[in-house]
Amino acid sequence: MSVHVRLTRQLYEQVRADLSRLHPFASERVGFLFAQLGNANSVTPLVLFTGYSLLADDRYINDPQAGARIDSQAIRSAMQEVLNRKEGAFHVHMHDWHGKPRFSRMDRTELPRLIPSFQAVGLSFAHGLLLLSKDDITAAVWLPGNTQPAEADHITIVGHPLQVFERQRT
Amino acid sequence: MTSERFSRQSFLGADGQAAIERAIVGIVGLGGGGGHIVQQCAHVGFLNYRLYDADGADESNLNRLVISTEADAEAGILKVELARRRILAIRSTDNVEIFPCRWQDNPEPLRGCDIVFGCVDSFAERRELEACCRRYLIPLIDIGMDIHQAGDEAPVMGGQVILSMPGGPCMFCLGFLAEAKLGREAQKYGAAGGRPQVVWPNGVLASTAVGIAVNLLTNWTRSKPQTIYLSYRGNDGTLVPHPRLEHLRDVPCPHYPPHQVGDPIFKKL
Repeated sequence: MSVHVRLTRQLYEQVRADLSRLHPFASERVGFLFAQLGNANSVTPLVLFTGYSLLADDRYINDPQAGARIDSQAIRSAMQEVLNRKEGAFHVHMHDWHGKPRFSRMDRTELPRLIPSFQAVGLSFAHGLLLLSKDDITAAVWLPGNTQPAEADHITIVGHPLQVFERQRT
Repeated sequence: MTSERFSRQSFLGADGQAAIERAIVGIVGLGGGGGHIVQQCAHVGFLNYRLYDADGADESNLNRLVISTEADAEAGILKVELARRRILAIRSTDNVEIFPCRWQDNPEPLRGCDIVFGCVDSFAERRELEACCRRYLIPLIDIGMDIHQAGDEAPVMGGQVILSMPGGPCMFCLGFLAEAKLGREAQKYGAAGGRPQVVWPNGVLASTAVGIAVNLLTNWTRSKPQTIYLSYRGNDGTLVPHPRLEHLRDVPCPHYPPHQVGDPIFKKL
């Protein structure tokens, strides 16, 4: 199984611009991307992002222990979008450094808890987590019905320039 | 060997060669245009290929099929085999997947490509290939040429190179595809016979297409994103932006809306 992820440069720039905005107290911002699946029944499924939903400032909870903590209304809104759009939801945030981004210990503990909520309203869609750095991306993808994520092997920003990011092999 | 091999194209940037090597390139149609593209992609350093063509080489290809020899044509070797042979002869470590069929009969590998070169013959084939590429967010670089002759006039050689970028204008927006053209083509189906094809315009168009792909991946020209629709005029040997671009409206493509991506779902009526 090799999961590939694609989004247009327009959408990528929209996400980066939103996540780069300063928040009154949170040190990071969060948003939700929505995606369709392609090649769904093959060994190389494609996650194809179609749109982005930003979070309003008042959806953040002031928690000095976390870069960003969001409230239940934010999660319910993302679940509603899954229902409305009939697409999977991906939590997206950005770490402010260069190189291949890695989910923090808190990210690895907290963020996968979102996935069962998304699967509850969209079992046949792919859901997941996307993490940007200043110049790279990583993605964890829960394919339909899966309880464990697969790390995306190949992420493409489709536009000019066209960028391809590959999973870091260990 | 790799660093020496590409030392003359270091102007592509510090990450330029790696960017080319990370990309998965699909080539649909390995005739006069696709043969040139395969060869140039191998020289410039693409590593990952998915090649589609159902046909074998024959004698009528020898005037332009740069990957074929006389012996290949006599033996009717599949064009995908010829392409793989040429790529591996240039760089033995390349990853070449070949599909001796119509891409529609095995579309999943094509959907996994980062860039597709379309070297197909008809408007209908272009429409199908572009629809697939739009649905799976793949830039499509289309090339083609034709020769027309009216009465006693000199033959007129024309062609095009089009970059169809998801999110940007499609071949319908550019006026290259139109229902009327598709209809006329369908009416003539089966009656067209062998259409004129020659090696030199194939080479010009293919070289331009490879240059567009390399610039997309490396942005060595540091140019701004732009719609690419180049018009080839073979009689005077020029390749210029198509006049239609001046009248292109800055509105989203209505033919392929952004949400219409992924596997299509068929509903019973």
